[in-house]
Amino acid sequence: MSFLIEPWQWGDWMWRGMLTLNLVAITCAVLGVFLYLRRMSLIADALAHVALPGIVMAFLVTGSLDGALMLGGAAVVGLFTAVAIEWVSRQPTVRSDAAIGVVFTALFALGVILLSTRVRDAHIDTHCLLFGDVLGVSDRALSLVAWSTPLILGLVAIFYRWLAVSSFDARFALALGVPVAALNYGLMSAVTVTAVAGFEAVGAVLVIALIIVPAATAHLLARNLKAMLAISAAHGIIASWAGMYLAIGLNISAAGAVVVAGGVLYALAFLFAPEHGRVWRWRRRALATSGPPRPLSPSG
Amino acid sequence: METGSTDIFLSRAAEFFSLQYDFALYALLAAVLVGVICGLVGTFMVLRGMSLVGDAAGHATLPGVAIAFLLTGTKSAPALLLGALVSAVLGAMTITWISRGPRVRADAAIGIVLSTFFGLGIVLLSYIQASPTGQQAGLSEYLFGNAAAVTPAQIGVVALAGAVLVVLVGIFYRPLSLMVFDERFAQSLGLPTHWLELGLMSALAVAVVLSIQAVGVILVAAMLIIPPSAARFLSKKLPGVMVASVVMGGVSGALGAMLSYVYEGVATGPAMVLVAVFFFALALGFGPVGGALPRALRRRRARQRAMPGGAR
Repeated sequence: MSFLIEPWQWGDWMWRGMLTLNLVAITCAVLGVFLYLRRMSLIADALAHVALPGIVMAFLVTGSLDGALMLGGAAVVGLFTAVAIEWVSRQPTVRSDAAIGVVFTALFALGVILLSTRVRDAHIDTHCLLFGDVLGVSDRALSLVAWSTPLILGLVAIFYRWLAVSSFDARFALALGVPVAALNYGLMSAVTVTAVAGFEAVGAVLVIALIIVPAATAHLLARNLKAMLAISAAHGIIASWAGMYLAIGLNISAAGAVVVAGGVLYALAFLFAPEHGRVWRWRRRALATSGPPRPLSPSG
Repeated sequence: METGSTDIFLSRAAEFFSLQYDFALYALLAAVLVGVICGLVGTFMVLRGMSLVGDAAGHATLPGVAIAFLLTGTKSAPALLLGALVSAVLGAMTITWISRGPRVRADAAIGIVLSTFFGLGIVLLSYIQASPTGQQAGLSEYLFGNAAAVTPAQIGVVALAGAVLVVLVGIFYRPLSLMVFDERFAQSLGLPTHWLELGLMSALAVAVVLSIQAVGVILVAAMLIIPPSAARFLSKKLPGVMVASVVMGGVSGALGAMLSYVYEGVATGPAMVLVAVFFFALALGFGPVGGALPRALRRRRARQRAMPGGAR
């Protein structure tokens, strides 16, 4: 068992990385459930990608690479993205998936061009933005995650009933007097803050995976919302630990390893979930079609 | 903009389109072909409500590239492209496979495949990087694309594959259009929808792999989604949408390649995408089918008909 304990003795980067990763995973998993139920999982894809143009634009406006300003800029661009997607998808001929695709790729293209023409001198590492640096979490990233996690989870707890009702049946929620639109933008803001706080530590790709995949696993296993939230968070944590140890043991990218571990967990749930697992369904189907033909009506 | 800079812009643009430099010609051809192919294939994806499958297929190429590199040990383009193609097809098929049946949302399925495949690709690349023989095989070029580095042989391959795609779409036009608008009806007519689906996903994967070199992984999705989405504002009929999408894709490619030539530091991929976004914005405002201005005019005319004399 020494390989489980040993990394913790190599320096404080291990507990810093683990702590950050787990906090990000829990927040992402909880928000991901509400996005999943609203069929808005791919908003996470969009919001994680626009972090690049957000940071570049913040740098162009403020002229500094100061952390707080850049994160603020990224959050503003994230909110703008959410509003723009909402607006474009309200057009009569544009579906919501196309709206997501148009808006985030447009902003991403803009970000790449600004990065290559205007901020060539500044050191903005696109590789780091996409893949993060789980094993070298900075003080700023850690404190940002440490602040945003309780804030967002607290807000989710306060608005839990509204979020639940409007996720399952938006029209019913509207009829009850729940401010559905405001709630929606609140959720988008929470995802943006989580993505912005998370990508410096763990990277955009991992944020996407931690938002989308745990909720999908939980939907295969859970029978009610509370169980779904718990399973989703558990998925995030297990994937984080498994991925971290894999990354250290095999000397591979930590962000990638956590993503792959999450994907494997989903595949297991997809095949072997007690009620909805595909393996059981195949077996039921095989049993139903094999054997002697049964009479259509009970013969008396 | 001052007249001086406009003159410089125009002369540089003319220089580009005079095609006296080989690399300008190659960049232009590559960009236009990518725009046309993506515009064609993207139309079917957007109309089916599966726009972001292209995004996932683009990200899903990464593990294929890495595995091909591990197996062959070289950066030879055909092997890497073949690897990319296989894993893109696998990714696209996985999406349709897992989103069939209960308890799986199609949008989540796209996100799951996108992130897991890409994560696997990152893992493999980090493994290659750590091993003594490997070096990161131009990852940033792969992510963001570089049309100027495309060789004539590659353009030949892209043109050939594009021609095959066009012919195939022509042959299967009727079943494809049926499936796009009403899959259940197509199924009830006895059309092999599973095979059509496989064909469409393979076409998507081919389009993605052909485009990656010029526009990169992330922006290939843009060329698959933006021109068809803009085209929907221009026509109500499938052939009209298809033609408009292909034309806008091709023109975006040409103008994007030109902008990238004129402005130093601007890559072709993002420039193409921004031109396409410009077309999308125009279509959103003025497109005859549901554009903002025609809608406002129609509403005004209806109000005048209902209340003649201008009473408000």
